[in-house]
Amino acid sequence: MVEFTLDGARVSAPEGELLVHAAARHGTFIPTLCHDEKLDPYGGCRMCLVDLEGAPRPVPACAQRVREGMVVSTNGETGALRRTLTEMLLAEHLSPNPGGRPNELTDLAEELGAQAPFLLPDAAREPYEDRNRLMGYDPGACILCNRCVRYTQEVMQCSALVFEGRGAEARVVPTHGHSWLDTECELCGGCLSVCPTGAIHEQFLGGSPAGHERALRKTKTTCTFCGVGCQIDLNVDPETKRIVKVTSDPSYVSNEGNLCVKGRFAFNFVHHPDRLTRPLVRGDDGKLHPASWDEALSLAAAGMNGVKERHGAQSIGLLASARLTNEENYLLQKLARGVIGTNSIHSCEAT
Amino acid sequence: MGRGASTNSIPEIEDCRFLLVIGSNTTEAHPVLALRMKKAVRKGAMLVVCDPRKIWLTKIAKRHLQLRPGSDVWLINAMMHVIFAEGLQDDAYIAEHTEGVEMVREIVSRYTPEAAEAVTGVPAEDIRATAREYASERHAAIFYTLGITEHACAVDNIWSLSNLVLATGHLGYESTGLNALRGQNNVQGLNDSGANPAYYPGYQAAEDPEVLRKFSEAWGGVELTETPGYRLDQILSGLYDGRVKALYLVGENPGHTEPNAKHAAEGFEQLEFLVAQDLFLNELTEKYADVVFPASSFAEKDGTFTNTERRINRVRAGVPCPGEARVDRDIVVSFARALGADWPEYPDAESVWNEFADLSPNWNGVRYDRLQETGLQWPCVDRDDPGTRFLHAPRPARPNGRGKLWPVEYQPPIELPDAEYPLTLSTGRTLYHYNSATMTMREAGITDKQEDPFFEISVEDASALGLSEGDWARLVSRRGDLEARARISDRVYPGLVWMALHFAQAKVNWLTHDVGDPLIGTPEYKVSAVRVERASR
Ligand code: SF4
Ligand code: SF4
Ligand code: SF4
Ligand code: FES
Repeated sequence: MVEFTLDGARVSAPEGELLVHAAARHGTFIPTLCHDEKLDPYGGCRMCLVDLEGAPRPVPACAQRVREGMVVSTNGETGALRRTLTEMLLAEHLSPNPGGRPNELTDLAEELGAQAPFLLPDAAREPYEDRNRLMGYDPGACILCNRCVRYTQEVMQCSALVFEGRGAEARVVPTHGHSWLDTECELCGGCLSVCPTGAIHEQFLGGSPAGHERALRKTKTTCTFCGVGCQIDLNVDPETKRIVKVTSDPSYVSNEGNLCVKGRFAFNFVHHPDRLTRPLVRGDDGKLHPASWDEALSLAAAGMNGVKERHGAQSIGLLASARLTNEENYLLQKLARGVIGTNSIHSCEAT
Repeated sequence: MGRGASTNSIPEIEDCRFLLVIGSNTTEAHPVLALRMKKAVRKGAMLVVCDPRKIWLTKIAKRHLQLRPGSDVWLINAMMHVIFAEGLQDDAYIAEHTEGVEMVREIVSRYTPEAAEAVTGVPAEDIRATAREYASERHAAIFYTLGITEHACAVDNIWSLSNLVLATGHLGYESTGLNALRGQNNVQGLNDSGANPAYYPGYQAAEDPEVLRKFSEAWGGVELTETPGYRLDQILSGLYDGRVKALYLVGENPGHTEPNAKHAAEGFEQLEFLVAQDLFLNELTEKYADVVFPASSFAEKDGTFTNTERRINRVRAGVPCPGEARVDRDIVVSFARALGADWPEYPDAESVWNEFADLSPNWNGVRYDRLQETGLQWPCVDRDDPGTRFLHAPRPARPNGRGKLWPVEYQPPIELPDAEYPLTLSTGRTLYHYNSATMTMREAGITDKQEDPFFEISVEDASALGLSEGDWARLVSRRGDLEARARISDRVYPGLVWMALHFAQAKVNWLTHDVGDPLIGTPEYKVSAVRVERASR
């Protein structure tokens, strides 16, 4: 532990902690834009500048580690600087809400009461089109914070995105201008998830969602696709009761907010028109026909009981599923053993 | 080592200093877990990948042991050979916490690295170096998955790895252990909750009269059979020989995922009665089901899944079931009642969980109110137990406190290539799909990335056959044939072709054979002999 002074108060923090996190634990929230806990300290956007006694100029709190005896002030001139910086970014921020994702820049502007003083004449950048149907990139929203590219290099290690050009020309592109589908991109959406402005955003199959992510109802649950068990948030449109997108939060232990293509994008099967919506029973014509639940259940029970009477319980098998919950699998084996009277319950996915 | 579960936890991976990934294409099968491996390597850890293919992880690996499919036991035994020959084993751990080392020591003395090179194709020096690095690094962990378990010799493979772990004492503390990466999302929980012929919930043996008495009492005095149940492979073969006359099939598609799939589908013809419960119809249920219950997706129900690190996580309903579809829990309860059972009211998922937890000592402390934020890892025996991040601490979790080493001899794969079928076919999964892909093939944005069935073939084999990238070719085995596009790749070596499991129109399981491991019945998906021919289309 080290002790240091934060806006006049003595505070302590574990050695080596980043100042921005130490300050937050003591209730002082220093705004950040290019910083992301998942990524190496970077210090690119200058939003988190603080005054450090003895330093020739303000330092970024997101890249500064706490040191014994340091004296930090977060509310001096750097406060005014933050406002100016925000205004400059807003002056180039043409599309504040491309995909309905939360926008850290406009949130910050609201908090600081900052507004775009004007729009830079050369702010408009060439639009970026891609034939992939999952993720879009809107250069008009991009503040060039480099979080996405750093995520691709440090976390995903996919080398699918690069930062290209300088100044007004600068933008983020998939390597050598290829479609994301033709790069090493695996469509995990990790770069999207760290983007603070929504410049990289989900594209929606079957039309855009009703409004903003914040209008959606989040339900935290567990991904259904593999044994990692990533924690996800289903973002549901309260009107249509359909899943609009899947997000995750860095605080979730097993996956720290990271997802893969399946967890993030493969939810449309839930609302697919092929879903079965009524019980079916096989008719005398040999075809399946819709039936009521009562009818289906009593036919199923009569069929099973018939086999049991004719051939004994051992002639009945049950196949459970790794897609079912623990509770459902428990009930299934209880049904096998306690109701039908057989131990023959297994699964195709036993490994 | 007793339970088929990962000994250690996902967050610990990033602090491993040495990772041995064997038979796991982690970036595709467990992508987010692989991020921790990538992070560990970024933090300076050494990664060694054992896989017949040049999978993605080999890019960041210090070494790639490109072994021939099915030769895992040779490789591991040779590593053990080096460890004993050079005195790198952990004698204190062996003496205090294991039994059976002598037999293993004797057997592996015959598995020299030089002989291993001839069988596995891995240079002897690489085997030596890997054995030394693994044995001398305290925070060294092993990760394996279906690559290792989907062989006829699956149990042998796991034993040989567990021998390696025990002989070097890599067990019972952080960032080490033997980590089975579970394939499907709730395979861990499926087994934990007793959907297994050999075990009641919580791995309580189905042949133990004490267990039967306990469950009978808890379930209202029902009589419980002592007759052993059938495993999957026995159920399917029972369709032919008439042992099995009716099936209740929940969310499964054996016509697709089972090896020798055509044979399995034919078995369904013989059934007297089939009840299916699923999200979608498939070819099997459409043709053979007598009754189909429309079921729920994960997004529509409450409950829990258990992940590969034994963590019980909550599942919460976010949307209603479509139409008259119902959550599976309600369907099973209604079906039990229709069958005449006198079951209690199960008003919610929690009430079912509590019944399971009350009956299962290692889950007893896991209750919904404790699962809200981060879940809990079993074993968790009471409410004060914080759960278990790593197993076998302070000593192996066996009744006598000793981990058992078990001598394992190499068994050649059942079907080796010959003149008629000169290539080895290995199978696996790809990132973009999930098993039979009844869910993921319905995702347009994802099928953009990968749609036509393809197989991987080496440059050498492709040019010998006159195949170019993307050409259609026919793969033929003793059991069937299919067409797929050639993907010419240095991921496979000459003599090996590889294909994914997911394609409905070209099911690779038409080609594989259904001889399984005699003990656990895991079918050998990984190695079959095939020939490749140019296709006319
Ligand atoms: S979506 Fe994932 S794989 Fe694709 S560029 Fe972004 S981080 Fe890389
Ligand atoms: S796309 Fe988003 S994350 Fe990437 S540089 Fe632009 S604003 Fe930053
Ligand atoms: S998001 Fe991907 S890695 Fe995570 S549980 Fe789902 S399928 Fe597995
Ligand atoms: S957030 Fe600190 S410099 Fe950008």
